[in-house]
This record gives sequence, C-alpha cells and structure tokens, in this order.
Amino acid sequence: MIISKRQLLSLACSVAIVAAWSVPAFSQNKDAIKVGVPTALTGPYGDLGNQVRRAVEFAVEEANTKGGVDGRKVEVQFQDTQAKADSARQQGEKLALSGYKLLVGTIASGEGLALNPMLERWDALYISTINKADALTGESCSPRSFRVNHPDYSDASAVGTWLKTQQQGKWAVMGSDTAWGRNSGASFKTTAEGMGKSVVTEGYAALGANDFAPYIQQFVSSGAEGIWVALAGRDAINFAQQAAQFGLLKKVNVAGVSFVTDNTVATLGDVSKGIWGIINYSSTLDTPENKAFVAAWGKKYPGTQPSNFEGETYVGMQVLFQAVTKAKSVKPADVAKAMSGGSFDTVFGKSELRAKDNQLVVPNYFGRVDTHEGGLRPVISLTVPKDVATPGPDAKCKM
Amino acid sequence: MSTPAAMAISAPTQKKTAAPLIVAAVVAAIGFALPSLGVPMTTLSLLAQASIVGVLATAVGFLVRQSGFVSFGHAAFYGGSAYLIALLAAHSKLSAEIILIAAPIIVLVAGFALAFIMLRTSGVAYSMLSLAAAQACFELMMKWRSIANGEDGLAIKLPREVFGLPLSIFQRPDSMFMVSWAVLVVIVVCLWFLSRSHFGTLTLAIKNNEERVRFLGYETLLPRAIIIALSAFIAAIGGVLFALYNGFVTPMALHWSLSGEALVIAIIGGTRAAWGPALGAFIFIFLRDIAGNNTTHWQGIVGITLIVVTVLLPNGISGALVTLWNRARGVSNV
Repeated sequence: MIISKRQLLSLACSVAIVAAWSVPAFSQNKDAIKVGVPTALTGPYGDLGNQVRRAVEFAVEEANTKGGVDGRKVEVQFQDTQAKADSARQQGEKLALSGYKLLVGTIASGEGLALNPMLERWDALYISTINKADALTGESCSPRSFRVNHPDYSDASAVGTWLKTQQQGKWAVMGSDTAWGRNSGASFKTTAEGMGKSVVTEGYAALGANDFAPYIQQFVSSGAEGIWVALAGRDAINFAQQAAQFGLLKKVNVAGVSFVTDNTVATLGDVSKGIWGIINYSSTLDTPENKAFVAAWGKKYPGTQPSNFEGETYVGMQVLFQAVTKAKSVKPADVAKAMSGGSFDTVFGKSELRAKDNQLVVPNYFGRVDTHEGGLRPVISLTVPKDVATPGPDAKCKM
Repeated sequence: MSTPAAMAISAPTQKKTAAPLIVAAVVAAIGFALPSLGVPMTTLSLLAQASIVGVLATAVGFLVRQSGFVSFGHAAFYGGSAYLIALLAAHSKLSAEIILIAAPIIVLVAGFALAFIMLRTSGVAYSMLSLAAAQACFELMMKWRSIANGEDGLAIKLPREVFGLPLSIFQRPDSMFMVSWAVLVVIVVCLWFLSRSHFGTLTLAIKNNEERVRFLGYETLLPRAIIIALSAFIAAIGGVLFALYNGFVTPMALHWSLSGEALVIAIIGGTRAAWGPALGAFIFIFLRDIAGNNTTHWQGIVGITLIVVTVLLPNGISGALVTLWNRARGVSNV
C-alpha cells in the first residue's frame, strides 16, 4: 500500500492527538501514590495472592485512566511472600524502604499480624483485605493498620442470623484442621447450641486431605440433618465432590464459610447448586457502586466477575484512594489520620472506618449457589445488617 | 600425643594460619563499615536477613562438616528457640535478657539429649529422623492452639529496652545488620578454631572412620553428641536473632521447608569451610531478591543455581574459592 505524504501527515497528527487524549495528565508537582503489595504470588496460597493482584491492578488502572487520584499518579509494586509471616515482614520492609509505604493485601493472618508492630517504625500503613484473625483489630491493633474485609467474628454473627431461619435441629461440622477451621467449627457449635440445636458429630481433616469418605460415613450414620463446612480451596472441592457421590448433598442441608466462593463454584459446577454459605462479597451485590464495578471489571477481564477476595481487595483500594484525596497527602501518617473514623464510598455503599479499632463497618451476607444471569454463582439471599455483622470494637484493642 | 588429625583431611600447619586470619579480619571489618558507607537501607535489610539465615546455615554446615550428618530438621532448633522466647515472654515473669539467653541454652540441652537418640541412626535414617522430629515440633505448635495460637502465630512481647539498648536497634535493618553480622563473625571464627583443635580433628576422624578411632582408644559417642548439641545451639542463636528482628513467630519458622532452605544454602556455600554456609546465605538471599524482583518464578532460578553448583562445584562456592586461593599461592589443593 502506498501512502501519500499528506495521508501520512494526517495519520501522524491523528495518532498524536489520540495519544495526547488518552495519556492522562498527572499533576507534576504532586507526589505519586505508591502502593506496595506484599502477597502470596507463589506457594499454596498463590491463587489467592493472584486474585489480590488482579484487583489491585484493576483499581490502579481505573484510577490512572481517570487522571489519577486527586491528580496523583498511582504506582504499584508486588512482592512475593508465599504467605509466610517472616517473609511478609521482610517484603513489607523492602517495599516501605523503597518508598512504597501504603501496604495492601497479605493473605495469611499471621502476615498481617507480623506487619502491625513494624508499621510505625517504617512510617508505613497497612490495609488488610483478606486477613480474618480477630486479633488484627483486637489485641494486636495498630493506629497504622486497617481492615476493610470481614473478620472471623463478623462471619460468626452472620451464621447466627442465618441459622435462625433454618428448621434442622441436628448438625454436623466438617472443618479443616487449622486455626481457622477449628475456630469456625467451635463458633458454629456455640451458636447452634444457643438456639437449642445440637451438633451431633464433628470431623476435622488435615489440610490437603484427599479422602473424605470416613467423615461422610460418620455424618450419614450420625443422623445429622445439616452440615456446617469450614473447608477452603482444594479441600472444599474434594469434600463436595465426594459428598455428592454419596448423595449427601441432596439429603442434608449443607452450608459453609469460604465454601461457596466463586472459584469453588466454577470447579464444582452443578454439584454446588443449593449449597449455603457466608458470602463476604458477591458480584451479585445490589448496590449502584457494585454494579459499576462489576461492569468495569468485565471490560478489563472479559468473561469474568470479581470474586469475593477480588471484591474485598477493591474495597481496600477505594478506601485508600479516598483517604489520600481527603488527606491531600500521600504521607502514611496523614493518610492514616484521614482513614481512621472516616466515611467512604465502597461497593457496599457508604461505610464508616471505625476509629476505635480501624475496622470497616459493613454488612455481611448469606446466600446459596444458584443460577444467576445464565451461570451458577453464589447469590445473596440474606443480608446481615451492619450493626449485627460488625458488632462493637474489641476491648483488647488499645491504640 | 597420637593425633587423629593424620586421618582427617588436610591437617593444617601453623604456617598457613596468618593469611586466612587477615582475610577474615578484613571481611569482618568491611561488614561493620557497610552501614556508614551509604549503602541503601534496602540492601542493609537484605544483609541483616542474610546474616540471620547465615547463622542457621552455619549450624547446618557445621554438622555436615564435623559429623557427616545431613539434618533436615534444623528449623526445629531455630524456630523452637524463637517460640521459647515468645512463650516465656508471655507466660513467665523472667526479664527479657534472661529469656533471650535461656532459650538457646534450653535448646542446647534438648539438642544434647536428643543426640543420643539421633546417634542410633546414620546416613539417610538420620536425615529422616531429624525431619520427623522437626515436623513433630511444627505440628505441636500448629495444634496446641491454647498456648501457641496455631498457624496465626505469636507476637513476641519484648520490652522497649533489651540489654540496655532500645528495641529498635534490633528491628532497624542497619543496626540489626551490625548485631547479626557480629554474632555471625564470632560464631564462624569460633567454629574455625574448633575445627583446628584436638576436638575438631577428633570428630573429623570419627566422621571418616568411627570404628578405627574407637580402636585407638577414644570415646566416640560423646564427641558426636557434643557436635549435634553445638549445632543445635548455633541454630538456636539464629532463632534469637530472628525473634528480636521480627518480633513475631509462626509455625513456618519450624517447617521443613526452612530446614531445606538452610541445607540448600549450606550446599551452595559449601560445607568444607566454616565460612562457606554464611557466604551461601548472602548469595542465596541476594539471588532470591534479584530473581524475585524480576519474576515470580524465582524458585526456578534458585533451583537451577543449586544444580549448577552441585554439578560444577561439588565443594560449593567456598570450596572453589579455596582452590583458587591455594592455586594463587602455589599450594596444591588437598
């Protein structure tokens, strides 16, 4: 093809104009927002870490194409922690020392708990979007540490609200033999017994167990009418597949925490239909903010909806960006001050970041796997209001 | 005195002592000077980590060199000492200084007692037994939730001042590097002298041919038990540094993957020289950091390095350096 000089010139001009149009103008004299993400990019929690990464990258790109946050460019750096506490501390320190002092998104609670005591020394701040241990905003709380996701105690109160609506009196517990699984099982038992229901049998399987048949037999013979499942990831999938083979899923009421995540449902397919679960975040959440988020997400990652972990991480980024705008500064001390006690627009609607323990006060949800817009997805059927889902701050937290 | 040294590899003569000592002094001095030379904080943070892991790797390497035992469970001594500090700080009224000194001594005693069970085995059986014992410690801390808080780990409650120094000295990368470097240098120098002592050559001889040394009239069980206990003690000192620096401990500090990492470091650095594993730690930590900055497949790069080193440099990087050094000085390699 031969292009004339004039054509070439006009082509060059239009390219230049388009380029100038699409490159957002960041303010030259404002410091960039530097977000550091120490997370599990490899190892057993690598899948979770990569969900964090996708959500952070989405939020950063969204902010930068809009001309930045308050005219500031957002920069981000990821470091692999393998979900190990000492590695999170090292990578967090590295990020903070290189200027990426706004830290977001570790996976294991131990990671967040290891970061907390170091934050003031590094002049950094940390926003938890995945860590569930109560201690993070309890006895280990720090004025520089915030949590936007749902802690364990919020899930426990969601269970109570839901269990009241169920008729089954005899329950079994199937948990993973970890701190999280045991705690979830124990709090389910307390809640159930408080309502005059009973837990007739309990089973705790080692992380990465393949054979759930003995537990399933145990549940069948115990005459349990419902099963509470505290398994995650591959364990949850293995259990559900084997329980389906035994016909258990059809006979009893099955519910769980972290059991009906988007990823589990995608792997299980029809087997998962009807399973109840705590839903910390769902792309089906009916708020205008969430609808906008899900639509934009579908454009960046075609054919997908944000998962629960991606949604909660996005909330962390929303809160961070609004706090920077409010503080008119990227200094962690100023941003922390703007965050504590502030009110923020999130996918959950307007939410307050409680000053006493730096926990975001949001509702929690319960729902079951159902067909939604042509695909199987966890669909919210019960909303636990804010004041029930996030009860008062832990007295052990002393800022 | 009949010396078992004749049977040990390369009994060094007095003449060769001076030059290595000078080199060691220079390396140690360079280390201490680094923080004041304007080295960036991020680098000092890596150096601090490398010195702490270096202590653990030195313990593993020392055991290999002096007894031939390949431990897959040294994280138990390292993390065990950190857990002892965390638990004693939370549940006892002892001062932080006493706790920090007591923890490695408790590990030393435990290591000595354990040695008599471990010494019933050798070779692969020893490695497997050490792995099993360490994993038992890991599981114990995972499951004993009421005291150890399971996988979420424990915060180590330390006062604002330790040994008369502000706690921040032990948690800032620049000052902690000085502290851990000093500890590492002292340990390596002590081990170097130990390897040249009567006891050191005796244990080397036992490693080479235990039966023959017994026939020469030496008791062979106790020296080997002492080596195992000392190695545990050194790993525990690493654990003290780890506890001070992190202020937090999770069961991952007891996990076999950390024991494996220490062994990999010792192999890369080479175990024939007392300073080999420490050198390996600096190479490993910096390699991991550089690889990690550029790719999430950093484990692949570390793995390839391990293969290359074991195939091309069977005595590790320190072994290769010693060969070069000897060649330069016209001494044939032994």
